Amino acid sequence: MNYGRELLKGNTDSLLLCLISRQPTYGYQIVKELEKRSNGYFQFKEGTLYPALHRLERDKLIDGKWQTLPNGQQRRYYYITEKGQQILTTRLATWQDFSTAVEAVIQPETS
Amino acid sequence: MRQLYNRKQARTKWEGKPSPTIKMVNNTTHYLNRFKACLKIDRTIRDGVAEELCTHLEDKSRELEENGLSREEADKIAVQSLGSPELVAQQIYETHAQGSWKEAFFSALPHFLVALLFASYYWQNVVGLSIILALTVSIAIYGWHRGKPIWLFPWLGYYLIPVVVTGILLLNLPQEWGWRIAALIYIPLALFAFISIVKQTARRDWLYASLMLAPMPVIFSWFLTLGTGNEYLTSDIWMARLQAKIPWIVISFIALAAATIGFIRLKPRRYKIISLLIPPLVILFSVTLASRGNIEFWGWLILLFSLFAFATPVWMQAREQS
Repeated sequence: MNYGRELLKGNTDSLLLCLISRQPTYGYQIVKELEKRSNGYFQFKEGTLYPALHRLERDKLIDGKWQTLPNGQQRRYYYITEKGQQILTTRLATWQDFSTAVEAVIQPETS
Repeated sequence: MRQLYNRKQARTKWEGKPSPTIKMVNNTTHYLNRFKACLKIDRTIRDGVAEELCTHLEDKSRELEENGLSREEADKIAVQSLGSPELVAQQIYETHAQGSWKEAFFSALPHFLVALLFASYYWQNVVGLSIILALTVSIAIYGWHRGKPIWLFPWLGYYLIPVVVTGILLLNLPQEWGWRIAALIYIPLALFAFISIVKQTARRDWLYASLMLAPMPVIFSWFLTLGTGNEYLTSDIWMARLQAKIPWIVISFIALAAATIGFIRLKPRRYKIISLLIPPLVILFSVTLASRGNIEFWGWLILLFSLFAFATPVWMQAREQS
């Protein structure tokens, strides 16, 4: 079992919600943003992003809308919903608590 | 690229070989066609996701080209970065194929109603039967014209049963000219309607056709164990046999309802197939064994037809996967 991959799998939804909450965005931009913000740490098969986005949309945490750009190209932008924002807030708080607790346990003891 | 992707069959010759542009488009088209072939969901959703993937490939290719790669190389890498189209299709399917509990309940409702009809002995009440029949027909027509939601298909199965039963009755009525002419007109029309509905359902998803036809082998196999030929509808023996078998009939329809709930709620396609296959086949074989050869030639024919109609979509699905 790849621990890093399992961690990413368990937190993909929160990461996506977090990025979408900052600004409405589309699939390819999400991939780029994740890679950029994590300094290349988060790299995955790009095709797996869409099932995750559709799952979030099914659960009404995000909303996808087709938009036509000035150059005529169409893109599907994702917006966070009120329910998604609430879930994200809860998850971020849980993550902060978890991360603080883990750090407190693993840091070397100072006498 | 999308214009070319939409014109899927567009092919030109470039000095006897496909031009690089066409080769690139073929890569994308091939990927998207493989993806769409694997994804058995509502066509509008499927085309929307394919369009989204197409936009992703466009963005990726453009960026790689800007970084100095040739168009062909950029396209190849873009397609590779998306991963296996079969895997993406499977994951998208599992997102969309799982119905809610509400949909599962409404899909199983006709089976529960039939079970209730027999459990309460209301099947002998003509008014009660007519109300349920009218309700089934109205719901089936409503769902058919409302985008064929997943809950529609079991209702549609019950909607088709009177169509088939009327044909069988016409064949068994006294051989007078009037009835013969009625049968000659009705049966081709009924067959046309039946095949057309099955074809349209199977076009959406093979498994939905089986979900729709699942009550058929069950109803016909119970029907045929109760009597033969002229015994139908007239004989007291037939009624007595029916009364004796009612608990088993009720259990059969509850099993069918449970299988339908399983089908709607399960995500992986193979589990859906299993949930759909097991109860009707078990019921079919148990009642066939219970009849101990008490079925005439035409009875076997109807039974085989209903089994064939039910099993063909599942078989087609298995063939597609292999």
